[in-house]
Amino acid sequence: MRRAVGRAPAASYAGQIIQGAFIAFVAGVLCWFVWLSGSALRDAQYFDGWLLASGMLLQVYYHIRRQTSAMSPKAAQSWRQIHIFVGYVIFALFLSHSNLALPDTGFEWALWSGFLLVTASGILGTYLAWSVPAKLGPDDRTAFERIPIQRSELARQVHILAMSAEKAQLDLALPSAPYQDWIADLYKNVLRSYFQGACNSMAHFFGSQRHLKRIIAEIDSLERYVDKTGQNKLNAMKALVLEKDRLDFAHVHLGLTKLWLFVHVPITYGLVILAVLHVLVVYSYSSGVL
Amino acid sequence: MQLVGRGKRGRRPPRSANQEWVCGRLKYGAVCSGGPEPDGRCRSTYECTPQQTASGWICRRPVPFGGRCKRGPSPDGRCCKPISPCKPVRSMRAKRDVVAYAAAVVTVICLIGAFIAATGTQFLMPGPLSSAHGAIENCSACHTQSGDGKLSWIHGLIVGDPLGDSKACLSCHKMSKTAFAPHSMAPDLLRLSTERLKKVAARTPEPQAARVRHSLFPMTDIMSKGLFCATCHQEHQGIAFNLDKISNAQCQSCHIVQFDSFDGNHPKFSNYPFTRRTRITYDHWGHFGKHFPEIAEKRGPSAKIPNTCSSCHTSRNDRRHMAVVSFDQTCASCHLDQILGKERATGPKGIAFLTLPGVDMETLKSKNAPIGEWPEYSEAEVTPFMKVLIGRSRRGAALLQKIKDLDLLDLTEATDEQIAAVSQFTWEVKGLFYALLSGKASDVMARLNLGDGSDASPQLLAELTASIPRDVITSAQREWLPNLGAEVEQFKNAPNAPPPDQQTQAPPATEGEGTPSWTSSITESRLAGSVAPDELAQGGTGLPNGAGSNAGNEAVSGDRAVGGERLRVAQEGWRVDAFGRVIKGGSTSAPPEGVAPDDRGTASIDDGNSEAASDTATETDSAADAESADSDTADSADSADADPGAAAAAAPAPAPPIPTAVDAESWAEYGGWYRRDYAILYRPVSHQDRFIHAWLDLTAPRAPKGNPSPAAQVFNKLTNKDAQGQCTKCHSIDDVPGKGRKVNWAPSSVATQRGTFTRFVHEPHFGVLENRGCLICHKLEKGNKYLKSYEDGNPRSFVSNFSAVNKDLCQTCHTRNEARQDCLLCHKYHVNGVITPIMNTRIPKQ
Repeated sequence: MRRAVGRAPAASYAGQIIQGAFIAFVAGVLCWFVWLSGSALRDAQYFDGWLLASGMLLQVYYHIRRQTSAMSPKAAQSWRQIHIFVGYVIFALFLSHSNLALPDTGFEWALWSGFLLVTASGILGTYLAWSVPAKLGPDDRTAFERIPIQRSELARQVHILAMSAEKAQLDLALPSAPYQDWIADLYKNVLRSYFQGACNSMAHFFGSQRHLKRIIAEIDSLERYVDKTGQNKLNAMKALVLEKDRLDFAHVHLGLTKLWLFVHVPITYGLVILAVLHVLVVYSYSSGVL
Repeated sequence: MQLVGRGKRGRRPPRSANQEWVCGRLKYGAVCSGGPEPDGRCRSTYECTPQQTASGWICRRPVPFGGRCKRGPSPDGRCCKPISPCKPVRSMRAKRDVVAYAAAVVTVICLIGAFIAATGTQFLMPGPLSSAHGAIENCSACHTQSGDGKLSWIHGLIVGDPLGDSKACLSCHKMSKTAFAPHSMAPDLLRLSTERLKKVAARTPEPQAARVRHSLFPMTDIMSKGLFCATCHQEHQGIAFNLDKISNAQCQSCHIVQFDSFDGNHPKFSNYPFTRRTRITYDHWGHFGKHFPEIAEKRGPSAKIPNTCSSCHTSRNDRRHMAVVSFDQTCASCHLDQILGKERATGPKGIAFLTLPGVDMETLKSKNAPIGEWPEYSEAEVTPFMKVLIGRSRRGAALLQKIKDLDLLDLTEATDEQIAAVSQFTWEVKGLFYALLSGKASDVMARLNLGDGSDASPQLLAELTASIPRDVITSAQREWLPNLGAEVEQFKNAPNAPPPDQQTQAPPATEGEGTPSWTSSITESRLAGSVAPDELAQGGTGLPNGAGSNAGNEAVSGDRAVGGERLRVAQEGWRVDAFGRVIKGGSTSAPPEGVAPDDRGTASIDDGNSEAASDTATETDSAADAESADSDTADSADSADADPGAAAAAAPAPAPPIPTAVDAESWAEYGGWYRRDYAILYRPVSHQDRFIHAWLDLTAPRAPKGNPSPAAQVFNKLTNKDAQGQCTKCHSIDDVPGKGRKVNWAPSSVATQRGTFTRFVHEPHFGVLENRGCLICHKLEKGNKYLKSYEDGNPRSFVSNFSAVNKDLCQTCHTRNEARQDCLLCHKYHVNGVITPIMNTRIPKQ
């Protein structure tokens, strides 16, 4: 059928566990340093606050680098890994900085919710970056930007298949069953709209295949009535339908990988402004404690 | 018309990951090969850019877009497949960036709106204040640099006094001057403590975390800048937050002794809880083992003997401290009689305050020493009090120095110079008596040097004199020196001098000094060889430090006066008669206004007319009275008639005294003044006798051990083991380096616990004590030389009746799984306390 249910090999699972353990270890070490500074009569919130700010700066630097210069895919991949890693670490620092407590005032709520949204969207993006390729399959190299192009190609192909008639059939003097017409009707009634653009997005979001099954059933139901040529056509059309479904699936999930950034990046901009103000306020009201 | 890459899916590389515009036909799948301009203009015109070759123009359409077309370019080199321009659209990335910038702008707008709409800067607060500070509304009350305006907090970014905010805390929380030092303790004391603890640190294993902490976060910077209040007391943590909360690790961060927990490597206690001997000398074992059984045996069941520790110790009044109950509640039943002298077997029960010292009359007479009238049979010694009073002037101090090694009762081997000194000394004594009689005792006392140059308060004067009645001194003078007045007059008027009524009127006193308008004009020359009258009356000191206050003496400087009151010698012919009365020359008319007549007319036995509350008594018996009567008839007369107009020449015979078998000392069994032999004595009134208390407090700072000064002699007299009152039998004496000594009047209290690092509240422990009660922690040790340790003046050199409290004992409960063992349970940081004093509320006016 359509898509391979991507099962990541055991090695990647192990790698992820090791990665997670390493992130936890680094976060733990940093939190321990924060505790040490607090027990040394420093204000721990200054220490972890600056660690948090440094991490956020590093994250923003990645974004700026992506915006301003063309990185090689390898470099982009490395930076992305660092970005994710630092993101987890600064989340731990955020928990330390906020003392695991809810905010009290409006300004703090803005900071708190901004950071959480950025973090949550980042975690979602990380999940998507792992899950979508897994869902699409290890050999899938579909690019989101090319999906419309590929979709239109498929539409053209299925149009040709559906509307073209065999020459031999035209030469027959005797009337035959209108297989081509049936196929053409199927195309006009079902497949044309299907191939026109992206569809069944919600079904793909939830992983449903009902729509696909319905279309395939339609094709299969006609298949028994047509001759061999028609069956070949229908098989080819079926393949195109599956391909189209795969593209739609990819469109939804690859689109998610683009969409989460519409939360992640803008909120980061606002969060940076709030963080700068936060630092200014903290230092202006500091009672001599550093 | 579309140009779709026919290659494999995904093979065609994207133009650029950062491109802002993409082809408008992308959603249809028909992108062109060129793509939009960077500024968003479509630049596709034809499907290819033909290339001219030798054979003509050839199509150069990219393979992904179909490769060479069949028709090929037109002869003029134009592509045959034009592309209609599209409307480029922003890429996903560009759209995202637009949203991001918009979010930033919205954030700034929202912030500005919040600043405008907010009434203050409360929305910038990191959290609510704790309950204790909940009433504070202005940020500037604590954040002194921040102001109260919406943007005034920006001032806080400018570096100011780092302690400014901490000083704001002190506006409500009063602390010592060393508030910002560690433990709010004086640095030198802290240094001493640190030096002591270095030895402990050497043998206490340091936890690893502490080592890492010290290496990563050294404390020297923190200590050098001073500790801010906010270092430990972090606000804005919520209403229920405990501002005093501080972790054990934070406590230990500065300490050289590092350990893991109390039940772990916390150092063993060292002589806890006693750091010094008890202020009240109380030998527990001596009482339990010896005195109580003796009293019980002697007095039987009615004896009031403490039978539990709580009979004497209680923490009800202040849980912070286990106090000792009052003397009246527990000690008086046995010790009161000792104080009053009832149990005194030998020696006088009163303190000899003033005496007429005995001198070797025979030798003095043989050497024609001009001492005037002096009793032959006096054997009294010069009391230390008299030395203080006489030594208050330089002259008196010099005389005391000269005669200090002499035995006044045996001057056979004295040199002429010493004889002269003794003679002068006798006149000093006479002058003292004269001053006490002609003036007020308080005036004489007021001239003692109090050390700080301040005037003696009325209360202190009353205590120093124990309100001695004038009659006591008067009757003593009449008996011992009946011609004192005449003698002083004689010294005032030299033998060859004109009579007093012909003397020149003294210049009027300066207005405003409050002195009588005429003063004596006695010159020093007329008193050659004797005490200068001005020095009798002028302020000097009985104590080594020199001049004292002139309180009570209204006009001393520049004037010559005798006594606290001016003698009146003037053209009006007033003179002092033999009785010491101021009379008109030759007559006994009433003295001028303002001059109190000498009420010599009272009987020798005080009949209750004394001014003061203290009782007086004179030693009376018929023979003594008759003797005094006889001696009086020669030069003076005791007259029961108080009329100052009585004839000076002959006085009526005194009335016979009321016979009594009670001697003066017994009469004063409950304290007060009395006279015996040639001494005026004071018997302690009760516990907390103010006379002894005042003299001890006055002289102790000037009485370091071995000091021979008169003040030290007073102190030694009142503190020796046979002293009347027996004050220092129980009230210990501490040597104070550089400041003499100090008598500890009160036992330890909350106030004396200031400056200590530990605190212990007894009450929570009462419920867990077994049958042995207090003795569980405070083990009584027999055989300790408790009392001997008080011979040393150093209070920190001591032997306790009880063994030190052992850390292991505390550890039986204070372990990880049972009772608390955090540092703040037993230790306090602000050793000198923090108080929040009452505010000054102005009384409302109508």
